Amino acid sequence: MSEQTCKLEAALKIHLLLVDDEPEFKEVMHKHLSRMGIRLSVSECCLDALELLEAHAVDVVIMDMNMPGMDGIQCLRKVKERWPLTEVIILTGHASVKSGIAGMESGAFDYCLKPIDVQELIEKIELAAQKALINQEDGTS
Amino acid sequence: MTIVDRLLTIVRRLLHPESAPPLLGPEELQRLFVARYRWFRELLTANSNTLEAMAELETALRDGRTLSMTFIRARCTLVMVNVYKIIGNLNRIADGRYSELERAFDRLQHSIETLLAGEQSRDDGELVLALDRIGRAQAGLTGEKMANLGEAGAIEGIRIPPGFALTSAATRLFFQRNQLYPKINHIIQQMDIANLKDLHRKSGAIQELIRTSPLPPELESLIRTHFDRLAAAMPECRVAVRSSGLGEDLGHASFAGLYHTELDVGRDTLLDAYKAVLASKYTPRAISYRLAKGFRHEETEMCAGVLAMITATVSGVCYTRSIGGRSETLDLFFAPGGAKGIVDGTRSTGHLLIERMAPHAIVQRLEAEEGGGAGLTDAQATALAAIGMRLEHHFGAPQDIEWSIDPAGALYVLQSRPIPAVAASAAALVQPPPDDERILLHGGVTGCDGAGSGQVCIVRTSADMLRFPKRAVLVVKHPLPEWAPLLKRAAALVAETGSEAGHLATLSREFGLPSLLALPRATEVLRNGGTVTVDAASRTIYRGRIEELLHANAPRPNPMDGSPVQQVLINVLKLISPLNLTDPASPDFHASRCRTLHDITRFCHEKAVVEMFDSGNRTRFNKGAAKRLQDTLPLEWWVIDLGGGFVPAYDASRADIAITDIACAPMRAIWEGMHAVAWEGPPTARLRTLTSFLFQTAMRDGLDPSRSSALREKNYFLLSQKYCNLSVRLGYHYAMIEAMLGDRMSDRYITFRFKGGAAGEDQRVRRIELLTEVLEHFGYRIDRVGDALTARVERRDERFIVDRLKVLGYLTIHTRQLDMVMAEAGAEQFFRDRFIQEIGDMLNHE
Repeated sequence: MSEQTCKLEAALKIHLLLVDDEPEFKEVMHKHLSRMGIRLSVSECCLDALELLEAHAVDVVIMDMNMPGMDGIQCLRKVKERWPLTEVIILTGHASVKSGIAGMESGAFDYCLKPIDVQELIEKIELAAQKALINQEDGTS
Repeated sequence: MTIVDRLLTIVRRLLHPESAPPLLGPEELQRLFVARYRWFRELLTANSNTLEAMAELETALRDGRTLSMTFIRARCTLVMVNVYKIIGNLNRIADGRYSELERAFDRLQHSIETLLAGEQSRDDGELVLALDRIGRAQAGLTGEKMANLGEAGAIEGIRIPPGFALTSAATRLFFQRNQLYPKINHIIQQMDIANLKDLHRKSGAIQELIRTSPLPPELESLIRTHFDRLAAAMPECRVAVRSSGLGEDLGHASFAGLYHTELDVGRDTLLDAYKAVLASKYTPRAISYRLAKGFRHEETEMCAGVLAMITATVSGVCYTRSIGGRSETLDLFFAPGGAKGIVDGTRSTGHLLIERMAPHAIVQRLEAEEGGGAGLTDAQATALAAIGMRLEHHFGAPQDIEWSIDPAGALYVLQSRPIPAVAASAAALVQPPPDDERILLHGGVTGCDGAGSGQVCIVRTSADMLRFPKRAVLVVKHPLPEWAPLLKRAAALVAETGSEAGHLATLSREFGLPSLLALPRATEVLRNGGTVTVDAASRTIYRGRIEELLHANAPRPNPMDGSPVQQVLINVLKLISPLNLTDPASPDFHASRCRTLHDITRFCHEKAVVEMFDSGNRTRFNKGAAKRLQDTLPLEWWVIDLGGGFVPAYDASRADIAITDIACAPMRAIWEGMHAVAWEGPPTARLRTLTSFLFQTAMRDGLDPSRSSALREKNYFLLSQKYCNLSVRLGYHYAMIEAMLGDRMSDRYITFRFKGGAAGEDQRVRRIELLTEVLEHFGYRIDRVGDALTARVERRDERFIVDRLKVLGYLTIHTRQLDMVMAEAGAEQFFRDRFIQEIGDMLNHE
């Protein structure tokens, strides 16, 4: 894939997984992303997400850091360890420098604050999609 | 092996020629370059995200808009995350040669985290304290209000109602036992404060959470014991449960009437009343007030006072230094019954102006309508004035005192707190307005001086609040504290009832919001949607917008001044904003010299450009990749092909390239715009401006125009057939143009970013305004934060995009070194007209 491949085009090729337990947010994202034609799966918590990742190829994960069950950073590390070519965008409603940097150190692609600016998140998804596709091309070629 | 590993191996080989293979094939070089270019673009994106978040923090400090810890924490986190990405990408591009930056970053991260965490220690102490054991020293435990009252009660000749305080230790015990802190924080952090509906909904959820949580049994039993003690001394005892927040009543922030008071409470309802008072910390008006004044929620821990109810025949408020009258007088407002109607502004009151000096002669009587001012004898007025002055003397500052007199004539002080420092005196002598047919209403009392203009918005219900437009004139029947969240959005406040003693009037002074109270028929005469000008000083409301009155209006005070949140912001900005590394040629331009996040950002940007395009000697890696563009302008333009950017016939072994060899359509459009109108060179500045510019330049070493280094700097075009990225120094500031001109609508966009400069703030702002106006004129969408500008067009037809690129080409050349002249009067207008004219001609010419 060339560097200039349109970001949206990349986004349309990927399988996106949203891991969040907030119903309103999931609804909003579902509406926007499905309207754009992006293939989206949703998990309630980290354990569900890991199960889904085992069963299906996922290119980009959007993950809330504050969910019941597993600590978000732990979950992120597990995902990156097992599927290093998958890009992860982390979300949080509790901005903290520590968690932000810990997320980046654990291999997150980007960091997004709640309440979400949907356009901004979509932009990040497109960039992450582009990166994920390049990863795959490089990783397999 | 991933591409990263392979690249690292290649770069290492290049750096250590002894182990290097003889040559890399052109394809491999190209591939390596494309990967590095990707990191470079990621670095640029993170760079502009960092600068945007920094500018938002700086703007918030300057304009005093609502600041919250959530906002500061969020923006700091964005800055840190993006700087982290910048460092990572630079090290990827440069094979880890800048790892020293990580130490500077870790240091800054640690310091910023510490500042954001704040000091956590709090007084621990008893859960319940009887009022006669409380003084100023216990303010950290009981809140300012109860501490002041306890202290006042110890002054000879001053009587306060018996009672007790439920301390901050009690609140903490209750909250911790029910895990309320994390639950509440979770809700608050997700709150969209600009959205009143969301504010109301989440505020309701928090209050419900508090009201339905059980009190710890040990606390419950202590509260009942203290109540029973009161009841033993006063049979049939009813109490008032009042809020007393930590950090409340500190002079510069009154929290006037924001929290809840439960009146007429018996033993059976006491616990619920206590929880209702604690919950009132999270009413919409209290949340927005704390935000507006810069208090952290956790710093304003709520405590409560339980006071025996006094059956009042007459009650009122005393300001020991008159708000509206002569400075040697004090104000006494009063009405029959309890004090609530006076501070709520719902009752008309009697008003006396009394000498501050003994024997406290009554200077002026302003009787209220409807007998509101009945029931206070002159002797009682004089006695109240004496008590007021005694309290002022004791506390060392003018006081705002609530009082009641019982049927036996005993005088009780219910509250004493400093008058907010910014309670600027309202107009003492009101000039009658000249005859003017635009006058709609005249009269009432001035709550806060000044003039404001906007659309009338009459607010009667909470639903009306949600519809309140920004900068509208708030018109209400009664100045209730419920309307407080609107003060920050309003241009002026008008109420039919009330006095300058009401809570909302106090708040309007803190916000510097012109307010006019006790103006009967305001809600009938003023029509929703009509534009009016409220001149609070002359107590007149005019039809339409009257500029001369508005110009005479002093700027509003910054409500955040001196607040703890503002202090946190000032301190973190010291670690973020200052730019110490300005001169890339200086030996100090080194990773170890980065003292702020801005230093790191600047350093990385510079080094990334060098590593990408200018490091031929060090790595031998992309030598020859950059071609010097043949040009007549006194500037160095270099071009780097990312694939398909040069015509096939071009001889890649050449060191230079002609514009006719460029196949990239966006670049050719920019180039055309650059050359459409001849550049006359830097505009000449008048001597005074030039001197000031040189002074500023000298103050920022590394920006010496006499070196004319700016002209010799290299500017790089990165291009493919349909894509172009230009990093350019426009005199003393950077600009970046990124454009894509694809076949599909969705593949066409232009982004232009611009920030900084050597000139003073005024000139920088004016230059940004000039650019904004010109770009908007030609159809760009503009986002401006501080002195950073982003202009975009997207999803338009090819012709439109090409023309807009020409506009940028033109501006790139013609706004060079405008700094010097922007200080001159009329310069902005002159250049705007000229630019628009010349660009228009250029576009029409074809």
